[in-house]
Amino acid sequence: MEPSRTATPLRLRRWPAAAAAVAVAVSLTSCASSEDSDDTAASSSSSSSSSSSSSSATVAAGSGDVVALAEAFVATLDDDQKEALNQDYSFENAANWSNFPNALLTGGGGGGGAMPGSSMPSGAMPSGMSGAPSGGAGGGMTSSTGRVGLQTDSLSDEQWTALENLLAGVTGSAENEGFDEILQHLDADDHLADNGGGDDYGRGNFFVAFLGTPSDSGTWELQFGGHHLALANTYVDGTLAGATPSFRGIEPFTTVEENGDTVQPEQQEAAAFSALLTSLDSTQLDAATLSSSFNDILLGPGNDWAFPTTSEGLVGSQLSDDQKALLLAAINTYVGDLDDASAARILAEYESELDSTYVAYTGSTNMTEEGDYIRIDGPSVWIEFSMQSGIVLSGAHPHAVWRDKQTDYAGTTS
Amino acid sequence: MRHSHRVGITAAVVGAVAVLTASPASAHVVPSTVVELDVHADDITAALTLPADDLATASGIDVAGGGTLADDTRVAVVDYLEDHVTVTSDGGTWQVGIDDVDSTETEQWGTGEFPAVTATATLTPPDGADLRTFTLDYDAIVHQVVTADIFVVLRSDWAAGQVESARSLGAIELDTVSGTVSPLTVDLDDGGPWQGFVGMLRLGTSHIAEGTDHQLFLLTLLLPAPLLAARRRWAQVAPTGRAVRRIAAVTIAFTIGHSVTLALGTLGLPVPQQPVEALIAVSILIAAAHALRPLFPGREPVVAGLFGLVHGMAFSATLSALDLSGEQLALSLLGFNLGIELMQLAVVLVVLPPLVVLARTRAYQPLRTGAAVLTAVAALGWLLDRVGLTTPLGSAADVLGPASPWVVLALWLAALLTLARSRGLPPAAATDPCAPRAAGPTTAEAQRVSSAPERTGS
Repeated sequence: MEPSRTATPLRLRRWPAAAAAVAVAVSLTSCASSEDSDDTAASSSSSSSSSSSSSSATVAAGSGDVVALAEAFVATLDDDQKEALNQDYSFENAANWSNFPNALLTGGGGGGGAMPGSSMPSGAMPSGMSGAPSGGAGGGMTSSTGRVGLQTDSLSDEQWTALENLLAGVTGSAENEGFDEILQHLDADDHLADNGGGDDYGRGNFFVAFLGTPSDSGTWELQFGGHHLALANTYVDGTLAGATPSFRGIEPFTTVEENGDTVQPEQQEAAAFSALLTSLDSTQLDAATLSSSFNDILLGPGNDWAFPTTSEGLVGSQLSDDQKALLLAAINTYVGDLDDASAARILAEYESELDSTYVAYTGSTNMTEEGDYIRIDGPSVWIEFSMQSGIVLSGAHPHAVWRDKQTDYAGTTS
Repeated sequence: MRHSHRVGITAAVVGAVAVLTASPASAHVVPSTVVELDVHADDITAALTLPADDLATASGIDVAGGGTLADDTRVAVVDYLEDHVTVTSDGGTWQVGIDDVDSTETEQWGTGEFPAVTATATLTPPDGADLRTFTLDYDAIVHQVVTADIFVVLRSDWAAGQVESARSLGAIELDTVSGTVSPLTVDLDDGGPWQGFVGMLRLGTSHIAEGTDHQLFLLTLLLPAPLLAARRRWAQVAPTGRAVRRIAAVTIAFTIGHSVTLALGTLGLPVPQQPVEALIAVSILIAAAHALRPLFPGREPVVAGLFGLVHGMAFSATLSALDLSGEQLALSLLGFNLGIELMQLAVVLVVLPPLVVLARTRAYQPLRTGAAVLTAVAALGWLLDRVGLTTPLGSAADVLGPASPWVVLALWLAALLTLARSRGLPPAAATDPCAPRAAGPTTAEAQRVSSAPERTGS
């Protein structure tokens, strides 16, 4: 290749410097293209998994049945899915639920930008930001790594069916409540995905986790949740020892059609609260009126075991029998989400405490307008319902939580 | 591109707010109040951002939905905020002044855009009292809207050396168990003139380290420093001593130039931001042209000094954005400038030695040409960007910064290899074209470059 030996040293000498020049060019172009593709971090979660075939598994479930249904679901999974599904039973995992879409927890979407690992949405930060503000502010912040468990976007039709059988086994069979309500929640999130919410929403963004191993001895929790939904059934030695915290929010709040289903969950809840409030006379209504305003519920995710020491509002002993029935009916729109046997047992307990259960509200008695808020606060039961401004759609939408002062997380406090 | 730092700081704060209000698992997609503190020498200013709808609910003042605020509305907001912001410390009760009430649209983590009311609270401790430890008794909105969150952020604290990064000081919110809202105790890190000075020194170094455009101007101007011009071409290699003197002269002239305008700008000389940023791009373009063909041989220091004046104006924007005065201003000017000089000196010391060595090889001509052309393209991209024409060139040029350590490494390896060869290495190493070289190009690429026509004028 070299024509003469004397030329060789000269040629060779040129190379390194030329190499440096080329290096500049190479780095320029390669880095430029990597920047262009920077913002495609959002995971594409398909929302096309099997739609709920409203499978009518309405078996009233004792715990043994639940374990069997849980094992039947596990049997459909591959090893990676099982690994994701099976988590440790710990308060940290149990308390790691949210009303947010998961992408908003992990930073993949919503506000924009990526939040890699830590609580630092560095992707959302302009490059001028040199010092990293440490962590987030605010109490109740538990995690920014998102939900634990198996994400539903990985489920095949068969696996979805097995999951639905499990959920049906632990939930109530009434129309628009329990299992039907969950199916409508999934539809509602598909509706958000189709109407401006994008890939962060939809039935593929829900998570199912077994905290501990399903068994008739020891403690385990069935956790199922996603945007606006948290189911938390904790079983101790074969008994449902805690069915809360149970979160139900919904957007859209108005009736829509999605995937061929009519979607209107939580309307019965609002109607039940309104029926109770409108049954009150003006003196009772005054006593029930809160002076404070609410733009959300008080005891959302992260605010565990933080029940007020003083109950506010109108106490149940001041209610007529008819009004007590309306109060119990309102409570039952949450308790009734459980399988029929569990619901009956817990409702009977709440009924026995009605005289010392308080009703407090603010806003209108319709419970459909932004700022409307109602709370049911008994020795055991704690239910909050708050109408707030729309996120994906315009118009008010509710957040609601059912907690139990004794049996949240089956009594696990830390 | 490297934005002007005033923009940079504003953007950083927006970023900080996004971080601090994220509070993921607590799951408020509901807008929150943000209180951003700037700690000055004698007082603290708090930039308040309040969700308009919550403010309307809590105060009864008609600010819901945003929009321009009428004068009496502003007055009502001032009165309301003065009733709900109290600051105390061991020194006594502080004076709280509210002004700059305005409305805006803003966005926080997961909230979407929402109307907000902004205001500035000036918090002044009693004469001579310490301002680094105090109790912020702030309950605007949350006294009524009990689910509201108030995030308190330390945006800048000169005396602690913190001027460009925000950090959370905590949140003010309802304790649901007791139903009370507790004031926030703020205990700032110890600070003083020395920490402040060091903070500004750091700011100066990072400003140059991240300011690819400033580095590129100086380096490109120095690219032909080891060469002599003849017949309107860069021809012979200058004696090393002369090259070093020229490098020193250019660097010192640039330093004098930008120091003058940095001081003037910081002290109040108005700086037209956009024209200055555009002129900086022009200065790089001219330096690149000069590196290709001598335009002003021997007068590089003059050019460096003149354009130094322009670069200094851009530097001053960083300091004037901090709104400093008195002793802090003087120490900032000194520290920031010193930081700039130190980093600039480091860059020159790191990049120039290999260039002086490589200037003696035939490779310097393609290297110089390649670097100059690349720089010119980058400068053109910045220029277009800064006059408002966004092109891919601008963002491509921005990656020169991150790439620069590798380029420097390549230069040093090449220079060391050149030195080693000139001292005669064993033949095996000398004839093996695949011997370890600088990272990056393949042998084929290197060969392609090496087979380019011989340079002229040697």
